[in-house]
This record gives sequence, C-alpha cells and structure tokens, in this order.
Amino acid sequence: MKKLLAITASAVVLMGATAVLTGPASAKTFKLGLTAPFTGPFAVWGKQFQQSVEAFQAANGDSVNGNKVEIVYRDAGGPNPAKSKQLAEELVLREKVDMLVGYAFTPNAMAVGKVATQSKTPVIIMNAATGRITRGSEYYVRVSMTLPQMVSPMGPWAVKHGIKSAYVLVSDYAPGHDAEVFFAKNFEKAGGKIVGGARMPLSTTDFSVYVEKALQAKPDALYMFMPAGAPSIAFVNTYAERGLKKAGIKLLGSGETQELFLPNFSDDVIGTFTSFHYTETNNRPQNKALWAALRKTAGPKAVPDIATLAAWDGMTLIYRALKKLGPDAKGMDYVNFMKGQKLESARGPIVIDPDEREVIQNIYIREVRKVNGKLVNVDIETIPMVKDPWKLENPK
Amino acid sequence: MNDPVNSNFENRGPAMANMNISMSPKSLGHLVPWAVAIAFFFLFPERLGQWTEILIWVLFTISMDLALGYAGIVTLGHAAFFGIGAYTAGLMSIHVTGDPIIGMVAATVLAGIAGLITGMLILHTTGVTLLMLTLAIAAMLENWANRATKITGGDDGLQGMELGNLFGIFEFNFFGVTAFWYALGVLFIWFLIAYRIVRSPFGRSIDGIRQNANRMRAIGTPVWWRLVVMYGVSAAMAGSAGALTSYKTEFVGLTVLQLLTSGIVAVMLILGGQKTIYGAFFGAAIYIMVRDTAAETYPFLSEAIIGIMLILVVLFLEDGVMSVPKILRRRPKKAAE
Amino acid sequence: MSLVSFLTILLDGLAFGMILFIISVGLTITMGLMRVINLAHGAFAMVGGYVVAILTGDGMNLWLAILIGCTAAGLLGGLAEMTILRPLYRKGEMAQVLLTFGLAFVSISALTEIFGPNPIPVVFPDYMTGQLDIGFRTYPAYRLFLIGVGLVMALCLWYLIDKTLYGARLRAAVDNPNMARAVGMNVSFLFTITFVGGSALAGLGGAIGAGILPLEPFYSLKYVVLFLIVVIVGGEGSFKGSFAAAIAVGLVDTAGKFLIPDVAPYLIYIVVFLLLLWRPNGLLPPKSVA
Repeated sequence: MKKLLAITASAVVLMGATAVLTGPASAKTFKLGLTAPFTGPFAVWGKQFQQSVEAFQAANGDSVNGNKVEIVYRDAGGPNPAKSKQLAEELVLREKVDMLVGYAFTPNAMAVGKVATQSKTPVIIMNAATGRITRGSEYYVRVSMTLPQMVSPMGPWAVKHGIKSAYVLVSDYAPGHDAEVFFAKNFEKAGGKIVGGARMPLSTTDFSVYVEKALQAKPDALYMFMPAGAPSIAFVNTYAERGLKKAGIKLLGSGETQELFLPNFSDDVIGTFTSFHYTETNNRPQNKALWAALRKTAGPKAVPDIATLAAWDGMTLIYRALKKLGPDAKGMDYVNFMKGQKLESARGPIVIDPDEREVIQNIYIREVRKVNGKLVNVDIETIPMVKDPWKLENPK
Repeated sequence: MNDPVNSNFENRGPAMANMNISMSPKSLGHLVPWAVAIAFFFLFPERLGQWTEILIWVLFTISMDLALGYAGIVTLGHAAFFGIGAYTAGLMSIHVTGDPIIGMVAATVLAGIAGLITGMLILHTTGVTLLMLTLAIAAMLENWANRATKITGGDDGLQGMELGNLFGIFEFNFFGVTAFWYALGVLFIWFLIAYRIVRSPFGRSIDGIRQNANRMRAIGTPVWWRLVVMYGVSAAMAGSAGALTSYKTEFVGLTVLQLLTSGIVAVMLILGGQKTIYGAFFGAAIYIMVRDTAAETYPFLSEAIIGIMLILVVLFLEDGVMSVPKILRRRPKKAAE
Repeated sequence: MSLVSFLTILLDGLAFGMILFIISVGLTITMGLMRVINLAHGAFAMVGGYVVAILTGDGMNLWLAILIGCTAAGLLGGLAEMTILRPLYRKGEMAQVLLTFGLAFVSISALTEIFGPNPIPVVFPDYMTGQLDIGFRTYPAYRLFLIGVGLVMALCLWYLIDKTLYGARLRAAVDNPNMARAVGMNVSFLFTITFVGGSALAGLGGAIGAGILPLEPFYSLKYVVLFLIVVIVGGEGSFKGSFAAAIAVGLVDTAGKFLIPDVAPYLIYIVVFLLLLWRPNGLLPPKSVA
C-alpha cells in the first residue's frame, strides 16, 4: 500500500505540473475561443476556419483600437457535444475568453447554449446549420446559414423549370432530414410531386442500390443531400454509372459541388443544379479580396469555402463591435450591436435578423459547367434575401 | 442509494469483514484516491469539467472491470448500457421529472435490466463470438437511436434537458460544482458496492468461473446465471455513469453509444489494470489527461500518441499501471539473485 | 420486384461480397491459426490501396501498381507479425484488441499527416470505368471485374488450401496446432508466411475495392467491423466459411438497402446477432472448434 501511496502522490504531482504548464494566461487582450474539429475525418473544418482567421488578421491587423484580438483554438474532434461543452466551460473559466466562435456541427453548437447564457458569453456560429440552434440561447449569433434557408428555394425553382417529379436521397443525419423535409415541402407546394426516396446511412460509400431505385422510379430529377467531399463524389459517379444521366434525370443538390471539392469530380457532374448561399468563384470585389488575402497567408493553392467565408464575416462583425464598444463591454451589448448589422460579404449582401440573431442572405441557384476546361459553378438565378424558413414556420 | 441488485447478494457477513475500511495504516491507502479527488476540487477549480469527466469514466471503467476483469466477459459493447443510462436520464428530465436522483435511479435500473436480458441471450458464448455479439447489440442500438429522431433527436442529439436542483438545493451550472460532487458521490456508492461484490462468495465464484468455467460447473455453480447477474450489475453501473454524463453535459448525443466509447473504456481498464477496481482511477485519469494534453499541444498527432500508448501498455505493462509496484518489487529481487 | 431488379441486386451484392472476401480471407486464416484478433488487418488493405492509388495517380499501369501494392502490404504484414503481433499470441482477447486498435490509430495519424484527411482515388483504366451491355441492362464494367477477380482468387485459394502440401499443413495447424507442432511442423514459420500472404491479399482487396470502400485514413477502423463479421460468421479459420459469409453479407446488405431501407443500417447486425446465437462458432467452423 506504501507503493500505492507513492504512485498516487507522484500522479498528483504530475497532474499538478500539467495544470501549471497549461494554466491561465494574461487577460488584457480580447480573446476568442474557436472550437472546431482539428483532427479526425472532419479536420478540414478547423483548418479552413484557422486559415480564414489568420488571413483576416493579416489583412485587417490583429488589434482593434490598440486592443489585441487573440484566438484560442480548441479541437472538438467531430460531432461530440460533451466535449464541446467541456471545452466551452474551460474556455470561459480558464482561458477567460470574451466570445465563443466556430462550431462546425449542430450538436456541438447546441451543447454550449447554457454555458453561453450562464456566463453571458456571445457565441458566433460559423457553420452549424440546424434552424433551431439560435433559439437555444439569447447569446447565439449565426453568420453562416441554415439548412432550410439553403435548400428551400430549390423546389419552386425546379418546378418553374419543368421538373415535375423528384426522387429524394439524403444522408441519414439531422441536416439530411432537414434537407429532405424542406426540399419536399417547397417542391410540392409549388406543384411538384415526390415519387420516392430514402435516407442513406452516413457511412454509406456505395450508393448503387439507392441510385438504382431512383432510376426505376423514373423521376424528372434526383434530389441529393450528403456531406460534401468523398460521399458526394461517389454519388455523382454512381448517378452516371447507373445510367440516370443518360435517362435525362436531372441532378439537384446544395453544397455538394463546392469549389473546394469540384476539381475532384468527374465530368459527369456537369449540369448539376444546386442552391447555395456562396458561389466561391463569383466576381464581387469583396470575394476577390477574400481570395487574395487567403492565398497571401495560406499559400497559392488555398481555396475558400463556406467555413472560410463564415469565419471571415464573423471576424468582420466582431471587429466592428470592438471598434464601437471596446473590449470591456458586456456580452449582451456585443450581441445587441450585431443585431441588424448589414454587411457586403464575399457571398453578397447579408443582414443579421434583429429578432432571431440569424443571417438573412441571398440564395443562388447554380449550374455546374465547364468553362475554359475547368469545372465551375455558374450562378443562373438569385433568390434575394431569404429568411430562415424554419423560424417562419415555428414562431417564438 | 440506487442499488437494484444488492438484494441478490446473501452472505453479507464475510463480505463486510473483508471491507475493513478502518483507520489502520495499511488501509489508509483506500482514502488516497478520494483525498486526491477532493484536493483537486480546491486546487484547480477551473479544471473541474475535466475532473468530473474523469470521475464518470472511472465509474464506467469499474463497471467494465466487473464484466471483463473479474468475470472475463469479453465485451466491446458496453457503450450500449452507458448510452441507455444517458438517454434514460435525458429523456426523464424532458418528459417526466428533472430530479437528478429519480432520473439516476431510472437510468441505473433500466440499464441493469437491459444487461440482464442481453446477458441471458449471449452469455453462453465466449471469446470472439461474445465480442461480436456485444458489439452487434451496441451497433443496433446506435443505429436505432440515429433513426428514432422523434425520441432521441438522432444525430442532433437530445435537446431541451431541464435539470432540477440536486436535493432541491444545488443547481447544475457551468461552473460544474454540483456535477462534480454528484459524480463523486455516485462513484463512491458504486465503489463500495463493487468492492464488496468482488470480495463476497459470489465474487469469488465469478473469479473461479473466469479461470475455469467447466470446473465451476462441475462443483455445482450455476455458471451462466452468475455471469448474467454480474453482467447486469456491471450494466447498471455503466448506466449510472451514462446518466452522470448526461447531467454533466445537459445533453445526450449518439457518441455515448458508439464503438469508440466501448473501446475507450476497455483501454482505460487495461491501462489501469484489470481486477483491481483501483486501476480504473489510474486508467481513466491517465487516458483523459494524455488525450487532452496531446490534443492541446500536438493536435495532429493525438491519435498516434494514444495509439502508441496502447501498444506500449499491452507490450510492456500487461497488467496496467496497478502492476507497477509489483514490477518494482520484483526487479531488485532478481538483481540480488 | 422485377427480374431486372433481382439480377441487379444479385450482381451488386456479389461485387460487394467479393471485396469483403478478398480482404477478409487472410484475417480468417490467421485468426483461425493463431487465435489472435487483429483489428489492424484493415490497415494492410489500406496500405496496399494507398500505394496503388499513388502509383496509378502518377500514371503507372494498374496491374503493375497492384503488384507493388500487394508486395508492400505483405511485407508490412510480415514485419508487424514478427515484431509486434507475435508476443500477443499468449495474451487475452482484449489485449489483442487494444494493441491492434493502437496500430490502427497510429496508421490513421500517419496517413492523415502524409496524405491529408480526404479520400484518394485509385485511377482505373478506361476499360474498367465504362459500361457493359449484359443483355438485360447496361452494367458498370468495374463491378463485373470485381466479381471476376473474386472468383479467380477463391478458386486459387481453394486449390492452394485443399490440394497442395502447404494447404494440408495449414489445415492441420488450424485444426490442431499442438499436434502439428508435435509432428515437427514449423508452425511459427507457417504462420508468418500465411500472414504475409493474407496481408498481400488484403492489399489487393483494398486497391481494387477502392471504388466501393474509398481509401481514407479512417479506412481501417471504419470497415474493420465488416471484416470481423465475415470472419466470425464464417467461422474462424474456415476459408470456405469466409467465402460464404462474405457473399451472404454482400447480398443481405444490398437486398436490405433495396427492399427495406429503413431497417438496412442495422439489418446486418440483427442477422449476425441471430446467426451467432444459433451457431456460435460460425457457419462452417473448422474441426478444432466445431
């Protein structure tokens, strides 16, 4: 038992040392705690956030009116609410951050609501997209998008352009369910008919069975929703491989054809229609500035995506608030300042809805085309200033 | 408090006799982990979240020790019971009552029943077959929970937990003080129960079954039934740990049911040392601290660090951290020879 | 269900099953031989796949790349067997699970560090990416190719195991390792050779299966449960069992997705669960455990 005591004692010393080594830093500066996945299969989110913030600070300075803005990065790994909440608590208690930012996944964003409310810390959501998140705390402000906002305009547009029936295949997770419901609802409201569909497990890598069923249902279009990257590339390949493209079945989607992943698609993706809030290759001066700033700090091959965009716009709002209120204002003052803010973003104009602390923005219908030998999303229609439909359907 | 299984154990006399937590110098060591836990509370209040997480995982690891360590039930599906506990506690707080004690009892009982039922089905098998069966149960539950969005919230997780105050007084807030003491209290109660079980005649017969089930059967021990009971106790305990995690986070996500969760708890047990109960304290603490420190200092290598730690432990520290004193004691003797 | 649907499900299920078979058969035999649970088996498939993906990405001929990839996977397997896995044979299941888990973790981290977190594609030649008219419909040539390779491999292995001296020794060692040792067989050497072969086969499966199971750093952990299912359902050590189990898993999974998509995600677990309750030692267990 003596040995046990000795070991326990040494363990205590070790823990103490760990705690001291990583203990609190000075709190003179304005601190942001950015939580996102930096490891694991979703590590690209953390990377894009971080590159964006670094590019932003390189372009706009790392201080506002002499107050340094410092970012503390924390790795949530993946969708892991327990971890996310614990990180938020530690960021607030130990790192004494003034705002929590980032959040790629809905469960992780939802899990910090109570911490935000109790510690009066604003949370700037830079991706997580389920409609109801911002109702979870008065301290949430979202600068990214909501899923219903992004997918709803596709239905009416499709009907207007001669698509009368659709088959819906979505990944079986909350964003997929939202996409399924809001596409179908708006498509049917506009006069379209859903002829079938399925929810595919997130782990699906071979889509042939689902696509085969879609082929046999003979719809005018196939609506897809799945995580961008490998799954959607495989899906589009299967869509062509199984002869749906040849049969004239149009492919509809949203974020699948993002610029970041577009070069990895085969040419079968040409002619896919998507509704999205950011066309990375648009010609707005703000967008060109974003590209230039990003490539200056993150290398000539860096490509912005919605994470880059949201982090950039979030930082813009935070800098504005700091300029106006200084670094010592109350959390709710920052939130109140952000309500109703208008911004000429790289994606187009955006407004933060003062009632819901939710971004209002244009949704663009795009078609994938080959321009100068390169696959690119081309804007073919703009649906102006879309409010989150979920909130319209579920008033407070 | 919530001990749905205690009535199964007769012969409390000898068990109590073995539990001499008196103030003799030798048994003073029993107080060390608890003293450390409480000291930590005062020394590093800003790390309370991590510390509470460790306590919860200690409890989960002890439950694994009962199943895997003592009873030799090879399982990669213990997350099933952890998850049942977490979701039960969460759902109770949304639909029935926010009282954390009633929720805890419900979670524990339900997980225990699930353990008894599945145990009855699968405990006639051993080895990899058993491993696959436990894994399949957890995987079925996880996939079901992902599908049943109306009940569980699916991938978004369980929303809207409303917790009442503990004993009607202590609020669960982001400082985590209540969660810490609650976890410590529940852990202590379960620790006493586990400690007593493994030293009871029942526990000894379980030990015998692990070593040689046929011999135990030959001397008339109801092998299958004993294993089922032990599995049920272990499951109930895992359910308590799950409930604690949902109280700490005020949120339940699918992670509680995942294979990785089952894997991590096994890692903690082997790391700390099987069949010791105290090993759980070391295993959980070391794993979580290494993981968090690695994630903060070398985020891109954290998986490799954990992987290497696993390999080294299995190769060189087969019986976990708890065997270190034994190894140290052995070395000098060998040198003397 | 129309006849076309039925035949399509059959072909899709077979193609998937063949991939599972090629990757899992090495695991089956090594697990039967040495009773070691190797969760890192997927890592060998992954290594083979990555090598092939990189080489074909640089324009190398697919078959040449596969040869190199299999060699790499085989050598790595042999190395791992001699250095890390051998001390494991006497330890409990859980120790084996954890160590090989650790290996898988290290491989994930290494691959993410070197090649990034996203999947990398194997470049298949044009004659494999096109469609073939097979009478009742056009069907992807790639999947027919998978079925072909799977059948050829199964035949070769059947010959090797049932008809050669090596096969006889292998079967003897699986059925009764102690007796095999007693009659003077070098079981350790047999095992190393088998391990190298099994790993090389896994590498082949990883490479040609990349169109169905994409190559990414988490490959080994993501699919290891599938491989384990094939091994345990088939019966540890049973080559024929693993063939039957792989095809069954492929067909059940494919048909489930087509017919009852709502249950499909856990259908395979339900089937495995019931099957193992009914036959705890798998479909076709070798004599040593039957």
